[in-house]
Amino acid sequence: MMKAKRLSLAISGDKLILMGAIAVVFILFTFLNPNFFSWVNITNILVGASLVGIVSIGHTYLIIAGQNDLSPGSLVAFSGVLCALFVSKGVPLLPAVLLTIVAGAIVGLFNTWMVNNIRIDAFIATLVTQTIVRGFAYIICGGKPVAISNANYITFGKARFLDIPLSVWIMLLCFLFFGFVLSKTKFGRSIYAIGGNKDAARLAGLNPRKAILICYVMMGIICAIGGIIFSARMNSGQPAANVNLEFDSITAVILGGVSFTGGVGSLAGTILGVFLIQAFNTGLTMVNVPSFWQYVARGALLLFALTSDYVRKQNREKMLLEASKRQG
Amino acid sequence: MGHTLAFENITKYFPGVRALDHVSFSAYGGQVLAFLGENGAGKSTLLKILNGDYQPDEGRYILDGEEVHFDNPHQAILNGVSIIYQERQILFHLSVAENIYLGRMPSNRFGVINKRLANEKAQAIIDDFGLPIKPTTLVKDLSIAYQQMVEIMKAYSRDNLRVICFDEPTASLSESEIESLFRVIGKLREEGKIVIYVSHRMSEIRAITDCVAIFKDGQYVATVPTESTSEQTMIRMMVGRDLGDIYRNLDRNKKIGPVLLEVKNLVSDHVQDVSFSLHEGEVLGFAGLVGAGRTEAMRAIIGADKLQKGTVYLRGKAIVNHDPHQAMLSGIVMVPEDRKTQGILGNLDVADNITISLLDKHSNRFGVLDTSEEATIAQKGIEEFKIRTPSPHKKILELSGGNQQKCIVARWMATNPKVLILDEPTKGIDIGAKAEFYAMICAFAKQGIGVILVSSEMSEVLGLSDRIIVMRARKISGELAATDATEDKVLALAMAEE
Repeated sequence: MMKAKRLSLAISGDKLILMGAIAVVFILFTFLNPNFFSWVNITNILVGASLVGIVSIGHTYLIIAGQNDLSPGSLVAFSGVLCALFVSKGVPLLPAVLLTIVAGAIVGLFNTWMVNNIRIDAFIATLVTQTIVRGFAYIICGGKPVAISNANYITFGKARFLDIPLSVWIMLLCFLFFGFVLSKTKFGRSIYAIGGNKDAARLAGLNPRKAILICYVMMGIICAIGGIIFSARMNSGQPAANVNLEFDSITAVILGGVSFTGGVGSLAGTILGVFLIQAFNTGLTMVNVPSFWQYVARGALLLFALTSDYVRKQNREKMLLEASKRQG
Repeated sequence: MGHTLAFENITKYFPGVRALDHVSFSAYGGQVLAFLGENGAGKSTLLKILNGDYQPDEGRYILDGEEVHFDNPHQAILNGVSIIYQERQILFHLSVAENIYLGRMPSNRFGVINKRLANEKAQAIIDDFGLPIKPTTLVKDLSIAYQQMVEIMKAYSRDNLRVICFDEPTASLSESEIESLFRVIGKLREEGKIVIYVSHRMSEIRAITDCVAIFKDGQYVATVPTESTSEQTMIRMMVGRDLGDIYRNLDRNKKIGPVLLEVKNLVSDHVQDVSFSLHEGEVLGFAGLVGAGRTEAMRAIIGADKLQKGTVYLRGKAIVNHDPHQAMLSGIVMVPEDRKTQGILGNLDVADNITISLLDKHSNRFGVLDTSEEATIAQKGIEEFKIRTPSPHKKILELSGGNQQKCIVARWMATNPKVLILDEPTKGIDIGAKAEFYAMICAFAKQGIGVILVSSEMSEVLGLSDRIIVMRARKISGELAATDATEDKVLALAMAEE
């Protein structure tokens, strides 16, 4: 009993550290630029976080299942261009959105096919997709951003509820829904089992191929929705946008306590990771850190996230060993 | 004068097990010491501590009166401790001499290697050993026995060699090759080296060793002189209690029912033409050497491996299992061979491990899990199979190996199977837990479940089965009724030539 308590304390300890880190970031940047802690800026951070946020949900599922995805940045850009293009060619908004979502799902199927059938490592497989989809984002629009004139489409990007932009609400709803699915449903449970040990999970009667397929298709759909929202906010579909989106998303997920080796983590941790990284990125811009140096800073943050993942793993193993010693 | 080696209270932990428990023993130069013990008794852990692959958690490792600490095998080799493993640790595309002097080829002050000198020095050692090989031959062109000799010479070529260990060295050698190996071991003994010899083969232990150190469940039992100790005594010390008693006192199922499972002409990538039948309430043993295709036959039955040909009938009805999930739905389940990599889900807790195969049953039509029902099933499993865990929410990796295995059994028994396949169910678990498993197997049979027991432990197959099927080279080579099965008969079928 004691042990179970200590374990849960250790987990909430991780979250406390994250909240502490967010507080430190806020205090530090507010000190450097008092505008940082203002309603306008916090809303900006939230809006910025909304895209990374929904993508990070997909990454949380995939990484817990022992997979990964490097294609979201390209796919979000492609989806924005595609939807804007449909609308500019006279397709009504709703069918345009649905078609874009279908396109996103197809990209997810393509990733699944490479991982499940050709057995390419997820990292490399989705690197292939990243490049191909980025190429198509340019090809379908001839390399030029596609302006959006449809009033409803634009309103969708500007709408607010309780003075908070719609995209932020969508992100929060997604976190609630997918958080519930991950922790309370058989699909969620099977994701953990498969990420922990794929062979054992299959022998226990689970279907890893199907679960992996669902995760990639889910990510594809999420990216499509993200792309539509993003293009609405920008009033245009931009083929060059969202480079490195997956980088921020994966950093957030690992910061939030998902183990890079799979099987461990939660969406509650991820959302904290998202806020941390978005506050960090926004702050760097606000205190006028040159953009070249921002790359270095982001890399450093990912390195920090991976290091803490490593330390957490070591601690877990140490606790197991201690437990066997006490038992022995 | 002579070399001495001593372990004092060496203890080593791994998650879920205490692999070595205050082990103390001594070995002396000019003596061949055998390590004897069942699988999981701690012999290989001991060897790995000896050569610096593992570091002990407690205890002292004393070599020639000095306490030593090796961080890695290389350090151990530099200090004169070498192990000759079952798997060859040599580079096949280099010559004999290059392998012997690997990493320390004679060279001039510019680092240019002097091959001629290396070959001369290697030739001297080869002559010393009296072997008919040349230093310039590529190792890949040698027979397995000579490859092993190259490894021994590599260890021997270090002037300070003090301890040399052999881990099942004869596994792939012929009679005459074994003889020449024994000649070399004799030579090492004469030169005052400490020789440690790990083997399961009693005849070899008799032939070559002076003393036998016996281990059981990670503990040191005793060292006895080989010559004056009977095989019976050694086995009793190694097993700890008379296994015969355990088998005799089992409450067996006496009513064997009609045919439950029938397998006809099964062919997969790994097995050929496997046919057999299993009755209700029967314990059917599968014996054979490692790699004979027993596990693979079971995997084909439950759909873990693809079936090319053949049919599986359950109560007379043909069934098709495309994956283990379908097999489970039809009532055929398997506790897999390797608990760590195929059985447990190490990142989940005990309760989740027990309920993982019943997610469909414990969730509503939206897939939302009924956690209280799950908790009930988990608790029932923990009580029924006496799983020793402080809480259902303990990570399964924190339990001992035997208790982890019980969780897997509980997982499958919760699905109400008709056929239960147990693949090496007692591998690496202690004797107390083994006895519990044996009682469990008999209880399952009494419930009318057909039990298939795949095991490499001969006593287990002979002691528990109603009928024994022997496999050899991916085929069934014979079948024996429990009443007239003996170790010799099983071995004859397991090793028979075509």
